[in-house]
Amino acid sequence: MADQSDPHTGSPEPLLKTEGIVKSFPGVEALSEVSFSLYPGEIHSVVGENGAGKSTFIKILSGALQPDSGTIYSDGQEFSHLDPHKSQELGIQVIYQENILVPSMSVAENIFVGHEKTGNFGFISYNRTLQEAQELIDSLGIDLDPGTKVEKLGVVDKQFVKVLKAIALESRVIIMDEPVAALPPEDTEKILHLVRDLKRKGISVIYISHKLEDVLGISDRITVLKDGEHVNVHDLSEEEVGEDLISREMVGRPVEKFYKREESEIGDVLFRVEGLTRFEDAPAVDLEVREGEILGIAGLANAGRTELVRTIFGAENYEKGEFEYQGKRVKIFSPRDAISTGLGLIPEDRRVSGLASGLSVSENITIADLDKLGDVFLDLDREEEFVREHVDRLEIKTPSLDQEVRFLSGGNQQKVVLARWLFANVDILIFDEPTRGIDVNTKAEIYKIMHGLAKEGKGIIMVSSEMPELISMSNRVLVMKENRVVAELTGEEITEEEIVSHAV
Amino acid sequence: MRFKSLFKNQTFFLFIVILLLSVAAGLINPRFFTLQNFLSILKQSTVLGILSMSMALLLISGSIDLSIGAMMGLGAVISCTMVMNGFNIVLAILAGFFTPVVGSLVNGVIVSWNKSVPPLIITLGMSFVYSGLSLVVSGGQFLSMRGKFYFLGGGEVGGIPVPVIVLVVIVTAVHVLLKYTKYGRRVVAMGGNEELAFLSGIETRRYEVFNFLISGGLVGLASMVLVSRLGSVVAGVGSGYELRALAAAIIGGVTFEGGRGTVFGTLLGVLLLGVISNGMNILNVSSYYQDVVSGLIIVVAVIVSSIGAWSR
Repeated sequence: MADQSDPHTGSPEPLLKTEGIVKSFPGVEALSEVSFSLYPGEIHSVVGENGAGKSTFIKILSGALQPDSGTIYSDGQEFSHLDPHKSQELGIQVIYQENILVPSMSVAENIFVGHEKTGNFGFISYNRTLQEAQELIDSLGIDLDPGTKVEKLGVVDKQFVKVLKAIALESRVIIMDEPVAALPPEDTEKILHLVRDLKRKGISVIYISHKLEDVLGISDRITVLKDGEHVNVHDLSEEEVGEDLISREMVGRPVEKFYKREESEIGDVLFRVEGLTRFEDAPAVDLEVREGEILGIAGLANAGRTELVRTIFGAENYEKGEFEYQGKRVKIFSPRDAISTGLGLIPEDRRVSGLASGLSVSENITIADLDKLGDVFLDLDREEEFVREHVDRLEIKTPSLDQEVRFLSGGNQQKVVLARWLFANVDILIFDEPTRGIDVNTKAEIYKIMHGLAKEGKGIIMVSSEMPELISMSNRVLVMKENRVVAELTGEEITEEEIVSHAV
Repeated sequence: MRFKSLFKNQTFFLFIVILLLSVAAGLINPRFFTLQNFLSILKQSTVLGILSMSMALLLISGSIDLSIGAMMGLGAVISCTMVMNGFNIVLAILAGFFTPVVGSLVNGVIVSWNKSVPPLIITLGMSFVYSGLSLVVSGGQFLSMRGKFYFLGGGEVGGIPVPVIVLVVIVTAVHVLLKYTKYGRRVVAMGGNEELAFLSGIETRRYEVFNFLISGGLVGLASMVLVSRLGSVVAGVGSGYELRALAAAIIGGVTFEGGRGTVFGTLLGVLLLGVISNGMNILNVSSYYQDVVSGLIIVVAVIVSSIGAWSR
């Protein structure tokens, strides 16, 4: 770390620089002529839609991929390509979403995996390991016990450990790929804080995220990629940049951040929950959703929103509670009961509970209502017809209906989950974080679809942590806190301030 | 394009491997390429073939049963013991057939009831129970069917061995079950993501138990083909079959993770093992070396055939 000066006050020499990077895969040019530079202690964000080339670019920096042409400069040296070893030697570390930690080992042990702290006779010294881990933790000002086993940690703390591990390797460049994609707002804040602390330590960060608000909040500079091309680089110290400008550059046309919905006609009560008590001594929850209505459910991450909708869907046990569909009492003890009542759940975590990622688009869409395809044997021709219809309707981008869904983008995967319930023809759709990890363009599409469904007279329950989404989509918002519904907001009352004041 | 996708197909690679091995064996000893020998490979593959179908079905559903070899042995031992004690032959066959069915049902109930211990461990434990029971029932004796039950394993219809017909019927049936029925689709989805299957309204526990039951039926059938073909058995007759069935399924592209793999791939896996062992017999390879060679060929075959899937 010879040079830690601020990019704007001194040191014209970037720590890492690329010029004219080109990378093609059969049929697509993933990157064309991408130039990029990173100064010591700089937070430089890279934004773009899914498929814009962000991942490919990171892989070139980490040495996982070799560019077809172009030059990478670092440490006064010139490289035509890097390999993973060389990249690490230059101090470049990528913090991946996937788990690279050993769950059964402690935080300290994880930090020093591969370069263990030894004492006498070359045996591992646990005292030294703990001590040096504690020093690293303190240097970042975070609260973490180095002796805790990683399996006991939450998502954010695990991210911290990954970053600590990178720091222990004396990294000068830390690349964070969507570090907050699956995190609730209060955890996001912790990660952003960490990024700023890294900068303070003189470590440069390449930050990749769909959340433009965060990006604008922490970055020194922002590079925008679109279809593998370098669109623009903004220096936030020199120009005033807004979300709309960035999203326009990402998409190539103006994007409405708030989806303006036309009012749909709100009809009779479609589904009602009365006195739902999830466990002994838990507060009872009542809610109802009408035809054509979008009911938002707001609250902090641990307010019990996901648990509530999963219970309504029959996926969790409960103490007591009554359900009514169109004024008639129904019993819901399993997802099977819920589906036959007319409910569909689009869960929070697509990969864990929304999709069978190794199965095809078709198989994923028809699974909840196979009865439509025959009594014992499946009519595969009819299946193809049905699936084709829904794929066209929702504009799901897939090379074929037999494509495994893991190869689709996040937005298209979400549409597949949605198509499942449209195929099953349910009346009440429960969305848990409908647009988490989805790019701006597809987000707008999902909103449009949701609104279209409301217009058809379906009832929609939407758990969301994104304020713009809650405010612009909901007819009514329930705010939850500690498993309790603490407020019901309608019309003009639905504002960010109002929601936050009840949620906290 | 079509050609390209063919190359990415694991089953296709497997087919090529089998073809190459056959040509090699045939070049060294022309006797390999006779109809007689071809039929005998199929005949020898029947028991393993049926067991592999059971293994593939369970793996694709996201489960596994390591006790199928032991259950098959127990079924055979019970049939023989009953015949030797003067029971009616039909009764003996029924008892032998239903033993693995009941055994599988027990496995299925334990596995679906207890979600914290993986099926691999539970069925590994149960395999000791069933192989132990075989010893108890047989008293360690050499048992015989006294030539009373020959048709299933040794008979012929129109020049085609009965076990081969059985194998073809079973393979087709399991293929149809997995590919063309609602039941099969649900089982595949369960293997692909159990939570998703549950949230899609599938009663996963019931399906899991039922799947074990079907598997038990296949094991029972394999048991009867085995006892009929051999005519006499000892307690350890089924041991090791579960691992060979597992190998065949994995070679054929079925994965431990579930939700993936085909019946025909598995059948090719079985045939590969059959061709290897038959080829080595014909080439007079010492039986001591046979396991070494077939083990190596399995590893090479899995690597070669996965290159296709891998290069996607």
